[in-house]
Amino acid sequence: MKVLLVIAWRNIWRHPSRSGVLLAAVVVGLWAGVIAVGAMNGMTRQRIDYLIESEIAHVQIHNPEFLAEGQPCLFIENHWEITAKLDREARIKSHTMRTIVDGMLRSPIKTSGVRMRGIDIRTETETTTFHENIVAGEYLDSETRNAAIVGQSLARDHNLRIGNRIVLTFEDLNRQLTSASFNIVGLFESASADFDRRNLFLRSDDLNAVLGDRPVYHEIAIMLTDETLASELVADLNRRFGHIQAQSWRQLSPELNVLVEIGDLMLFIVTMIIMLALAFGILNTMLMALFERMREIGMLLSIGMSRKRVFAMILLESLALTVIGAFLGIFLGWGSILHLGKVGINLERFACGIAEIGWDTVIYPFMSPADYASVAALVVLVTLFASTYPACKAIRINPLDAAKDT
Amino acid sequence: MPIVATEKLCKTYNPDTVPVHALRQVSIAIEPGEFTSIVGPSGSGKTTLLNMIGGLDKPTSGRVLVDNVDLTAMKDSHLIDFRLRNIGFVFQHYNLIPVFTAYENVSFLMLLQKRGRQEMHRRTNELLDAVGLGGRKHARPREMSGGQQQRVAVARALASEPKFILADEPTANLDSDSAMNLLGIMSRMNREKNVTFVFSTHDPRVIKRARRVITLVDGAVDQDQPQN
Ligand SMILES: Nc1ncnc2c1ncn2[C@@H]1O[C@H](COP(=O)(O)OP(=O)(O)OP(=O)(O)O)[C@@H](O)[C@H]1O
Ligand SMILES: [Mg+2]
Repeated sequence: MKVLLVIAWRNIWRHPSRSGVLLAAVVVGLWAGVIAVGAMNGMTRQRIDYLIESEIAHVQIHNPEFLAEGQPCLFIENHWEITAKLDREARIKSHTMRTIVDGMLRSPIKTSGVRMRGIDIRTETETTTFHENIVAGEYLDSETRNAAIVGQSLARDHNLRIGNRIVLTFEDLNRQLTSASFNIVGLFESASADFDRRNLFLRSDDLNAVLGDRPVYHEIAIMLTDETLASELVADLNRRFGHIQAQSWRQLSPELNVLVEIGDLMLFIVTMIIMLALAFGILNTMLMALFERMREIGMLLSIGMSRKRVFAMILLESLALTVIGAFLGIFLGWGSILHLGKVGINLERFACGIAEIGWDTVIYPFMSPADYASVAALVVLVTLFASTYPACKAIRINPLDAAKDT
Repeated sequence: MPIVATEKLCKTYNPDTVPVHALRQVSIAIEPGEFTSIVGPSGSGKTTLLNMIGGLDKPTSGRVLVDNVDLTAMKDSHLIDFRLRNIGFVFQHYNLIPVFTAYENVSFLMLLQKRGRQEMHRRTNELLDAVGLGGRKHARPREMSGGQQQRVAVARALASEPKFILADEPTANLDSDSAMNLLGIMSRMNREKNVTFVFSTHDPRVIKRARRVITLVDGAVDQDQPQN
């Protein structure tokens, strides 16, 4: 085997420029590929992390009917029981309860449908990073009575300013239409302008005071110590408690699910393009090498080198070439990702629409060791696959060709 | 007992279109230790005969026996291994692996035969010395003259310790001094180590060194004479 590797290795350097071109192509292809894949990885991951951390959390619990109909009377009935259990759960980092009511916001300019989210400041801050979205004014820990924070886009639509009073109209627990006024203490801007337009945040105590005679909660958001525990916890909760529905972030946010799938698809496409180019490069180089070595291979078969060894020799030759290239390319890619992962890639100049739909404009590329390993494995596989044809041609050479004079 | 024997060997090229009868009923026997030359005019079937004996091509009819093993009945993959272990080859050109040095070319077959390291090392050095290339061990083929390359090829054939060595016009591309030098080496190996050589040639000076001359005409044995 070693001797085959030596032949393969030396044959590579027989045409330094030809091998060099393929090598350079492999290096550049994989380098760029790794960065592209890393950037896409990073983009999706940032988006997912953001949505999870700022709003969705890992697991949510609702009254199953609330999910369908959204009426305030469809609250979680046994929330004390559930939170008592959550407090004892080692898998859980933190949890918070939210009172959610759909209603209308009336301002002198117009009326729009909004979702009022009553939150508990202390536990919400422990659980999500929503408070970081405040761009002006105060958070709900303000001293002001009936404080509200609204999205910047909603404020713009209604020409609202901090200090303004808004009137919210909604059904209370007895299904009676009621109105209450709140004071804007701050503006927030989340990742999605659409979300900002349709949601406003209040203290759950304030909201509950208007809603009925006792505090009710429609949503429990749970942050876990480890995201991968989500489906397990969801199953446990659903088994243990009746009349609730626990869901993981994947079930809660179809957007995130689609995001994961699109990310995977993009990865697949980019990888396939690179691999296809690699395959043709190898095929071309190896066929060229083969045609000029017909006689030599015939000679090798004549003097007793088995077809198996000839086959292996060709595969080794292309493998050696691409493995070096892949190693270099992945190494460079790894270095770049390490650097860009800290500095970030700023897309602001290229894509102003990105921020509009709620995506970060600075991307921090990211590749897991498993990603690197699968790229490397793919290169080896593609190389073997692409050099099979030249290798098959090689072993079909007639040894008599070696003996011929011309 | 002969080391190589052919029995009524026939080879017809293009049997369906324009048949060329390259060999007609050739029956010869080569004993161990012979130094035999196959001669004859161009197109008489020398190369064809050597290819049959070497198991590189199959006859149309007849048999080739190497040490009593019928090559014509052998499967192709077995045949390659059989060649590796039993038959040495020296071709007219393109003998050597261009990316290997003289030393590596000579030890190549021994590597394929999976011989011990020490033996390989010893034999390679011995044989390169014997063919007068002890000082050019690390030269690549393209850095050597045609004669030197042919001597490396002979050393390689010898290194694998075959039952016999076939050489199709080994001197055809050499000037006459190099040709005689190569012949001298082959004949010395034959005398000293009892290595069996079968070679074809056009060169009268080379023919003179052979100890048996088989003359082919039109694919049939015309004469078969010992020489001293
Ligand atoms: N592959 C082939 N297809 C068809 N005919 C062939 C083939 N190889 C050889 N022949 C024919 O068989 C006959 C014998 O050829 P061969 O090469 O054995 O002659 P030779 O004695 O070696 O000649 P030379 O001295 O020129 O090398 C010739 O008539 C040749 O044209
Ligand atoms: Mg010939």
